[in-house]
Amino acid sequence: QYVAFAQEDEVEGEEDDLIDDEEVNVDDGTGVEVEATEGEEEEEEEEEAKGSPDADTIILFTKPTGTGAELPAGKIVEFLVGFTNNGDKDFVLDAIDASFRYPMDFSFYIQNFTAIPYNRAVKPRQEATVMYSFYPAEAFAGRPLGLTINLAYHDADGNVFIEPVFNQTVSIVEIDEGMDGETFFLYVFMLAFAVLLLVAGHHFLSSFGRKKGSKKTVVEMGTNKKDGVDYDWLPKEVLNDLKKTPRQSPQQRKTKRVASSK
Amino acid sequence: MVWAQTRPMLKKLLLSLALLSCIAAEGEERARLLAAKRVHNLYLVEGRDIVVQYSLHNVGQAAAINVQLTDAGFSAEDFDIAGGQLQVKFDRIAPNANVSHTVVVKPKNFGYFNFTAAEVSYQPSEDSAEIQIGYTSEPGEGGIIAFRDYDKKFSPHVFDWLIFALLMIPALLVPFMMWFNIKSKYTITSRSKRKAD
Repeated sequence: QYVAFAQEDEVEGEEDDLIDDEEVNVDDGTGVEVEATEGEEEEEEEEEAKGSPDADTIILFTKPTGTGAELPAGKIVEFLVGFTNNGDKDFVLDAIDASFRYPMDFSFYIQNFTAIPYNRAVKPRQEATVMYSFYPAEAFAGRPLGLTINLAYHDADGNVFIEPVFNQTVSIVEIDEGMDGETFFLYVFMLAFAVLLLVAGHHFLSSFGRKKGSKKTVVEMGTNKKDGVDYDWLPKEVLNDLKKTPRQSPQQRKTKRVASSK
Repeated sequence: MVWAQTRPMLKKLLLSLALLSCIAAEGEERARLLAAKRVHNLYLVEGRDIVVQYSLHNVGQAAAINVQLTDAGFSAEDFDIAGGQLQVKFDRIAPNANVSHTVVVKPKNFGYFNFTAAEVSYQPSEDSAEIQIGYTSEPGEGGIIAFRDYDKKFSPHVFDWLIFALLMIPALLVPFMMWFNIKSKYTITSRSKRKAD
């Protein structure tokens, strides 16, 4: 939305030598890995990688507190960026964007986090704070990565600045949680395995101690009926019941009844 | 010879260095507050509490004196204060220390609401006369859900379950009675040996 003028690098007068293009644009705006070309005539691609001298920024990590050198994998990382307007014109904070870079080459993007737009106006002599949070992916645990956090803002004249408020190598650490799903089921599995070993050992030992071939005494029923049906699997009560009552098949009952009714 | 010539230059260099360090030292002995405002709730519901947390962090080298935090973003016609105050004062925030403050508000209406920044004012050092004004971070726009929709999703619906139970009773009772009547015909009770048929 902001048209960058052709002589953008002449902004503000001071520190112009820094804006020139012989530096590698490591802290550039989103998505541009192109090395600096000669003239700074391209709009919006090759903004200054420095901020305005009238603005002062500071970063503070609130989750987790500290220098930000170690960030937890899979957990939220939150930080505040304080902006002080030391000039006499309004500034408007546009957005913050954070990105993970390859630690050996900061122009190589590994992950680009969503830029949060703020559009906060900061009057002269006043301060403002903006908050940003992101989640480092769990897959990055144990790796060092370069973290670059840029604050983009513009002044009342329309000059756009992108200031790197954080540009260091961080290491992503895995926070050991203690008891989670995996460790719980691991313990259950180990317990079950131990029980299995006990049972197997007990069975093996007891069978070893016993004489081979000795089994519990078999109740010999012989053959009850002439049809040779084996009843010895039935419990005793049922067997007694069987002996007492005459069993008849429904066919026999029917023929008997028919015979008797006749 | 060279030494005599460089002497005034050396003096100038030392003087400028001293001046610079003086200025630098003076510039550093200031408090600087970073203020954050966070809405703690997962759901913003009309008529139910919204917890707003403010935290002030002093990243400067000196203590911040007379810190005042004022939030004018919750107007009385849109919000009821259920706890805490919208205006709070801290006498002193030490360097590298932080303080936090919580306010509980209840929205009276539903819809989209823009949570704006609160204002912080403080004296950057003990002997400075100027008051530094700053603003907290803005939580941004949030949608306050109407209570009806929230209730539909989250309430225990006890009354609805009772009605359901009442309606299910005949549907369960009729088959049960049928089965029970048939079964009781074939059960041998202790009194009689066998039931006929």
